[in-house]
Amino acid sequence: MNTDDDGYRQELEDRFAERSERFRVLVCIDGSDESYLGLKYASRMGAHRADCDIILLYVRPTDQGLHSGGLQVRVARENMLSWGLELPGIRRLRKGLETLVGEEELKQEWTAETTTSTVEGDPLGDNKIEYRHPSGRTIVLKLKVASDAASGILDQYELGPYNLIIIGSGRRGRSRLRATLTPSVSEKVAYHAPCSVLLVRDLVAGQGHLVCVDGSQFSKDVVRQEAMIAQRFPDPKLSAVCVAEDDEGIPEAERIVNEIRDMLKSELNFDLRGTYVRVGDPVEQIVDAGKDYSVIVLGDSGKGTMSRILGGGVSTDVMRLAHNSVMIMR
Amino acid sequence: MGLNGFSPKAITQGIDPRAMKTGVRRVVRAGRQLNFYYFWEKRWFFIAVAIGFGMLQLPLPADLSREGMIVLTMSVVATILFVTEPVPLPTVALMIVVGQVILLGLESTQVAKSLMTDSVLFIMGSLMLAVAVVKQKLDKRIAWLIVRITGTKTSYICFGISAVSGLLASFIGEHTVAAMMLPVGITLITLTSDDPKAVRNLAAVLLFSISYGCSVAGIGTPSGGARNAIMIGYWKEFFYDPTDPETRKFLIDYVHWMAYAYPLFLVQLPFVTMILLFTFRPEYRNLSRAIVKLRAEVDMQGGLKPGDWIAILIFFLVLAGWITASADIGMGTVAIFGAIGFLVAGLVKWEDINSGVNWGVVLLYAAAISLGVQMKDTGAAHWVAEHFLDVLKQFGAGEGIGLWAAVSGLTTFVTNTMSNGAAVAVLGPIVLNLATAAQESPIVIGYITAVSSAFAYLTVVGTPACTIVYASGYLKTTDFLKVGWKMCVMSIIVMILGAYFYWPLLGT
Repeated sequence: MNTDDDGYRQELEDRFAERSERFRVLVCIDGSDESYLGLKYASRMGAHRADCDIILLYVRPTDQGLHSGGLQVRVARENMLSWGLELPGIRRLRKGLETLVGEEELKQEWTAETTTSTVEGDPLGDNKIEYRHPSGRTIVLKLKVASDAASGILDQYELGPYNLIIIGSGRRGRSRLRATLTPSVSEKVAYHAPCSVLLVRDLVAGQGHLVCVDGSQFSKDVVRQEAMIAQRFPDPKLSAVCVAEDDEGIPEAERIVNEIRDMLKSELNFDLRGTYVRVGDPVEQIVDAGKDYSVIVLGDSGKGTMSRILGGGVSTDVMRLAHNSVMIMR
Repeated sequence: MGLNGFSPKAITQGIDPRAMKTGVRRVVRAGRQLNFYYFWEKRWFFIAVAIGFGMLQLPLPADLSREGMIVLTMSVVATILFVTEPVPLPTVALMIVVGQVILLGLESTQVAKSLMTDSVLFIMGSLMLAVAVVKQKLDKRIAWLIVRITGTKTSYICFGISAVSGLLASFIGEHTVAAMMLPVGITLITLTSDDPKAVRNLAAVLLFSISYGCSVAGIGTPSGGARNAIMIGYWKEFFYDPTDPETRKFLIDYVHWMAYAYPLFLVQLPFVTMILLFTFRPEYRNLSRAIVKLRAEVDMQGGLKPGDWIAILIFFLVLAGWITASADIGMGTVAIFGAIGFLVAGLVKWEDINSGVNWGVVLLYAAAISLGVQMKDTGAAHWVAEHFLDVLKQFGAGEGIGLWAAVSGLTTFVTNTMSNGAAVAVLGPIVLNLATAAQESPIVIGYITAVSSAFAYLTVVGTPACTIVYASGYLKTTDFLKVGWKMCVMSIIVMILGAYFYWPLLGT
């Protein structure tokens, strides 16, 4: 790679530039029901639009042989392939593809391209099938090899920017300490991903999004970005909530939500469904208010590991405690 | 411009996405994540090093030498690292080598020499043989042979698979057979049904038949697994004295080992199938559909080619060599000889062997055995054994069956947390000294340790066969717990009964 390093870099740069023009959604498939719910959601969001790429990602662990008594697992794997057996994960990705596109349509309208790239330490490397539609939409099935799922997903970001990562997150109510010290895959991705992350939990589509705002400039950016995601749905429904700490804060909170509403109207010509002001602990109030919506949307509090243990952060606490799906915006 | 001329990422991060691809970005990101996260991920490494440092500062116990304390410390640190794996395991091997030179002040050449023994040569040779055997693609024929004998009933097929896997694994190592038989199991599953959910239990029964069949068989002969070779090496290293003819009994040869251990494997075999069928109750009682298709595949392959016959011949020559010549030229030499045979006959490419063997494992076992020998030489193993025996005596487990059960339980526990070869390498010196201190036969205690190290049914990492079968993607880690504890109980009972009633008949 050293000799044509510059060419490779240039190629990456071009691809990055080209891709940042598009709306790219990375859906992490692990075979669970949650991950397929997330996929359906992505499909509602973008499958009918020409500028949307949906990438289905399955991460399988690197085959390594220390535990297999010194015989590399790849020997067994190669033997499996010579029998014509599929890698684990392929079937799950195929099932995901079927929920996006019917078999007939796929054959007639889409073109497919398969690529494989080598990965150090694994005989089969990463496998990718790219389906292109004449309208410009693409669906990519990607079978990736990584030492663990979270770093596989995060590495995938490096290969092309994404607007949104969708990942299943089944368990609710882990303690703050546990979530910080032994984060689950979805929590790791939510903490470290450079782009927005949707954590799918009992996702019921069609009930709209609830975006949480405070007065900051960052939260305005979050709302703006969220409005653009909401606009991608056939029937955009977006409400905003601001939580005041006590009764004295209510007028200020009302001013914030009104400002947000006006801003969306003037800048993007987007109407909010409703605006709410709640009083009390932000996390409790947001979790409670969010119950009636499909997704709770929050900005990332941008805290490091240490502050997550000590003080948490509204977004990470909501992520842990919410009954339904949470989207962390960046 | 996409998204109304407005890239959300660029706004929220204030960076032009194009500026994000070069090395700088990686460094920045690494810097952000390095802080606490790096130390947290590697926490066990630092904890282990801190414990090691703390142990060296402790006042020396009266009956332990300074060197003994250092070796003991190194063993404790290595054990923590084996179990928690904060760094790649071969790193631990390298640390042991460096530690012996720097902390113990041994001559570097002397340490290097202590790394290579016949046991290590054997581990290396049998891994090369394993790759060569898997590459011969005899698996379809073996599968066909099994179903020809067993018919199409699921329960018979399961027994057939574990029996044949076991018989093969007892001679050529469980990892070899697991790698060979895994496609057989998966093929039978996928030919039965395409929907993984509809065959979940069937998949569990078939795949566990392979892995547990191999695991219980690994104890059968010295070539069944690295741990057996390690134990044989320890016996010779610790007790054999060329000037004393009495100690010749500690030179355990191939046949002698088989006489002790092979019956234990055969007795366990039917229980494996019973436990599996009882735990997982497969969805299909008959696999005739899958077997018809399997037969068609085997037919396509045609008859045995000359190359296949040569491979089988070399295999049996190696087997014969182990049985007849290993006492004179060493088991390792025979294994290496077999690898040479496959390479000379052109049946396997060196590149395949090179990429199929994890050489780090060879290094790991070499270092672990070298450390084990130091444990004995410095008296550390003796010291630990005496104190451990004092504890056991308080529970009435200082001798006889109580001691056996304690050793077996300890080994089972340790082997479930790390690879079984490493478990024997770490525990061997201690339990063998325990045997002398308790005036029990080191041979019996050694067998109990080596055999118990196969009882790693509970975790994916416990035995090689489990790891390989898990790579199929059909099993969950909880499946191992669900059925593994029953296997553990069964195996321990069989072994204790064997040690009590059967081994005395062999005259120890």
